[in-house]
Amino acid sequence: MTDITLYHWEPNANSGKPMLALMEKGVKFDSHYIDMLNFDQHKPEYLAINPQGTIPAMTHGSRVLVESTAIMEYVNEAFDGPDLMPADPRDRWRVRWWMKFMDQWLAPSFSMFGWKFFVGPNALKAHGQEKIEAQIEQIPLPERRTAWRKAVFGLFSEAEMAESGRRIDVGIKMLEAELAKREWLASDQYSLADVNGFNLAYAMPLSQPHLSNDEVTPNIMRWLRAIYRRPATRECWKLGRTPMASRVEILEQDYIPPRDEAEGIASGVR
Amino acid sequence: MATILYHGEPNGPSLAVLAALGESGLDIACQPIDLLKGERHTLPQVTEPVARDMGVEGEGPVLVIDGEAMTESVFIAQYLDEAGANTLQPKDAHAHWQMLMWCRRITERAAPAAAFLGCQASAHDALAAMDEADFAALTDAIASEDLRHRWVAVRAGDFPEGPCADSVTKVSDAVKMVDDQLADGREWLMGPLTIADFETYGWLAGMTAVVPDAFAGKDRAAAWMERVRARPSVQAALARATMSNPEASWAPGPEINRWG
Repeated sequence: MTDITLYHWEPNANSGKPMLALMEKGVKFDSHYIDMLNFDQHKPEYLAINPQGTIPAMTHGSRVLVESTAIMEYVNEAFDGPDLMPADPRDRWRVRWWMKFMDQWLAPSFSMFGWKFFVGPNALKAHGQEKIEAQIEQIPLPERRTAWRKAVFGLFSEAEMAESGRRIDVGIKMLEAELAKREWLASDQYSLADVNGFNLAYAMPLSQPHLSNDEVTPNIMRWLRAIYRRPATRECWKLGRTPMASRVEILEQDYIPPRDEAEGIASGVR
Repeated sequence: MATILYHGEPNGPSLAVLAALGESGLDIACQPIDLLKGERHTLPQVTEPVARDMGVEGEGPVLVIDGEAMTESVFIAQYLDEAGANTLQPKDAHAHWQMLMWCRRITERAAPAAAFLGCQASAHDALAAMDEADFAALTDAIASEDLRHRWVAVRAGDFPEGPCADSVTKVSDAVKMVDDQLADGREWLMGPLTIADFETYGWLAGMTAVVPDAFAGKDRAAAWMERVRARPSVQAALARATMSNPEASWAPGPEINRWG
């Protein structure tokens, strides 16, 4: 038992950010898996901790912290261990800038694909339409109700998906260009921006095989493999329970050639 | 090291950053630019434009250091604080998390709403009056496709009822959040003065004229706005105005959340 509990889903996207940050810091914590596809995050016992019903959340003693990137910043400041923020103020600015860009502009586009092709269909398959409609009614935040409805019932418009596809294309090119400038995303030191970015990008060679591979994004591939080799990353991804987390194993391949976009869609976890 | 802060009229994110600069004690050259003429997109000597081109905040201030364009008002303010007097962020990790969460509620919810309503009230007429070729030249310089679309929407007067009503709600929520936060008698939003005060004031100051109902009966929020406005760093920022009413200066800002 520790006085830190992290409530998380798969090591992926938002849940994976504080999981990996804690492991990089060497902070022991109690892991509490929230099965998002089983709507654990909207059950009374979880809403008692985070009334907004969003994942992840972390308790530290009597404190409750939410929002994945902000939790990571708290973890870095509150605990001993390697500093995951650079010391130079301009480098710190760059870490923050990239995290906001990924959190607000790029990641929502990735997750629109993830929700349309994975979260929505799997939740519908597991629960059936009637039960799922009742579950959606229980969601506290109106924007999350909208997102679940759209994902489960396939209501993302063609224009929305096209815009998300455009942003993914632009964002991958931006990441590649940035990683051509330096070893890590935002500074010469491994930082929260890399922890954040890995959670967004680790499965890109599978989900976006035409945009991200050793031919067109060599710097992204170098960066992803370097993060995958870190002991904390290995430990973190062991906490995954679904095929989603096992996608990370693609980074064991030394060379990933370009593949058709259709193969990414067929992988089912785009 | 060549450093210059390009800022719009002291309103919104430009006001927040100018105030943070004043508190930092740093001596940095400031250059006013006309955000509504798109001048931000043609700044000289920018060799690392990615943050200027793709920043989520839209038309806000740009701090250029050695050719690198730095954007996002909260993060520029954090930079100025950390490079300077280091007084505007809590040292305790939890208090710092609270300040960051507050700033995110402002930048993610209130700021897109304020920019949307502010542009409707103050930017649409000027852009609609531009001739086609001048507007095309302006938008051709904008790298971000979605930011360019927001400019086109402001010029066209594309302010649908749904987002208008939602934006009024979000501004009202922000004012209420300020008023509630001050209920225990604290002087500033986080207790001590922080970046959260300047960021919040910057986005809300221009809303008193646009959404007056949001401020009705919110006496604590009103008194806090007076305190922020009276701060020497804010007065110095306001003294940089080139128009009599900088609170009415708006340009396309952050987008309204695509997920609804």
